[in-house]
Amino acid sequence: MPPPAPPRLPWRRPAQGRRLAGVAIGLAVHLGISVRLVRVLFVVLTPVLGVGPLLYVFWWLTVPEGDPAEAAEAARPAAFARLARRQGTDGTPSRLPVTDVAVGVLLMAGAAALLLARQQGSLGLQWVLPAMLVAAGLVLAWSQLDAVQRGRLRERAGGRVPVSVLRLVGGVVLAGVGVLLLVGGATGQGIAPAVLLQAVVAAVAVLAGVGLVLAPWWLRLWRELGDERTARAREAERADMAAHLHDSVLQTLALIRARSDEPAEVARMARAQERELREWLYDDRPAPGTSLAAALRAVVAEVEDSRSGPGGEAVAVDTVVVGDRVPDEGTDALLAASREALVNAVVHGRPPVSLYLEVRPDEVEVFVRDHGDGFDVDAIGPDRFGVRESIMGRVHRRGGRATVTSRPDRGTEVHLLLPVGVAVVPPVVARPAADGDGRAERTEVAR
Amino acid sequence: MTTSAVRPPVDVVLVDDHHMFRTGVRASLDERVDVVGEADCVDEAVEVIHRLRPPVVLLDVHLPGGDGGGGAEVIRRCADLLAGTRFLALSVSDAAEDVVGVIRVGARGYVTKAISGPDLTDAVLRVAGGDAVFSPRLAGFVLDAFGTAAGDVATGDDELDRLSAREREVMRLIARGYSYREVAGELFISVKTVETHVSAVLRKLQLSSRYELTRWAAARRLL
Repeated sequence: MPPPAPPRLPWRRPAQGRRLAGVAIGLAVHLGISVRLVRVLFVVLTPVLGVGPLLYVFWWLTVPEGDPAEAAEAARPAAFARLARRQGTDGTPSRLPVTDVAVGVLLMAGAAALLLARQQGSLGLQWVLPAMLVAAGLVLAWSQLDAVQRGRLRERAGGRVPVSVLRLVGGVVLAGVGVLLLVGGATGQGIAPAVLLQAVVAAVAVLAGVGLVLAPWWLRLWRELGDERTARAREAERADMAAHLHDSVLQTLALIRARSDEPAEVARMARAQERELREWLYDDRPAPGTSLAAALRAVVAEVEDSRSGPGGEAVAVDTVVVGDRVPDEGTDALLAASREALVNAVVHGRPPVSLYLEVRPDEVEVFVRDHGDGFDVDAIGPDRFGVRESIMGRVHRRGGRATVTSRPDRGTEVHLLLPVGVAVVPPVVARPAADGDGRAERTEVAR
Repeated sequence: MTTSAVRPPVDVVLVDDHHMFRTGVRASLDERVDVVGEADCVDEAVEVIHRLRPPVVLLDVHLPGGDGGGGAEVIRRCADLLAGTRFLALSVSDAAEDVVGVIRVGARGYVTKAISGPDLTDAVLRVAGGDAVFSPRLAGFVLDAFGTAAGDVATGDDELDRLSAREREVMRLIARGYSYREVAGELFISVKTVETHVSAVLRKLQLSSRYELTRWAAARRLL
């Protein structure tokens, strides 16, 4: 071991490289010794009162399943955790159905013993067969402990696992029958049905009583577990955010310091960073493709980042959005037209540039305004393809309206109005009342 | 800018926890405004405001100290002065509960810290004159909260949960980036009428029990 001992990996039972249940390889990784040595030790210890298998089964039950490296990662404070997942270790998970094989072997042995007993009279039937039944039941039931984690994952993915319940019940029944046979054999003449029934009722009553007494503790434990889990999830989200912000903010600051002699570029970077921070801090982050407001913000970001004003300076767009809905082809066209209008305002107009989007149940409206000197709309030649085609044409084709108001002292305002849910061809002027209702959506994500 | 020459400067107390920002604001305000006091936390702000009783307080929404209530707590603890002292919220925050929350406890307006010096001075004078100051962002929140559908228009003057058609028109123009004067020109009304409409909207914003508003003011995103 080198002097600064590397932190020991936690003891888990990894899925990779296991022979049975991963106890040996987990122990080897934990202690930093060879897997072969551990396995040999287990085998060597077997004749000594069966210590090897006993230890193996004990650790199988008590050591949780999982990847040691991931467990070590999870144990670190969330603030230092990496966002990206590490590449998995080589090797495919080997998963022998060990427990099923064990149960099968035990049951087969039981059947063989029964057969032998029938043919040759007694063969220690009093205890061999019941013991086997008990063992099979235990294996069947305890194998659930192993499967619980997988089952939890599967449950989270949406599917229930009735197999685990069946296994548990089967194990309990098998073990119960075995115990009864054992007790019957020990007392001599077996158990009379009446006594059996009485005993079962008494046992169930005692179990119920104990369960009732312990229920509050169990509930509290369960609740505390849930609390802890939510707290951890919250910490993880906070760390995720912190890592993201620190990374991008620090990077931007470094860039700004390096290029402090280019005011336009610095202003642009500061603006981009501000936008990103605001998005993280104040916006609900809707899923992509579900929010027109988010799509518009993305358009604004793109224009702010890529376009400059007439003097080469960065221009910030003052964006206000009221309402939201799921984007469709019509709003995509509207968005494209808004982008052209915005580019026009930034490049040819004068700041401040304002963008206003209002989503109503039956129509969507966009205003793009700048404080430039404006231009004469009637004087737009056919060569000014930009305004005529990319702004007005796009909206007209979707049955909407586009007007450009330009006044010398009040700048230029482009107004786009699009009825939503309208048929694309032919362009209808009248607003449809039916389809537009109920499609407006708010992105109020309860978080 | 209209009658500034004859009017004495308006006294202002500046409350913000960032020293650099206070210096910047002080420098950007022109001679129509006089910064008479500063504070950088809730308790100090309450003390300074009670001592100086300024006509206008420029108040950051996020402040340390007190019970953690920030600017809203300052206004609440100065409620006895609301008749003579008016609060103008000044914040970097875009969050709806910050904006609406501070308005609901009694602020007369909300502007973002990106505002230019002359605009801020205008806003201070407007608040000192008893009017409300709406940024485009705040107007957007108002429209969002009161609804933009056809059925959301108030029919009576005393209705608090809906905007009148005219108020909505004014709000939309402000959200589109129009100044009060530009709004007045667009709607062919006087600036004073625009101010009246904005003040009416502010009153509704403060008193309405509309579900969206209470939800915003109370619990949105309080993880």
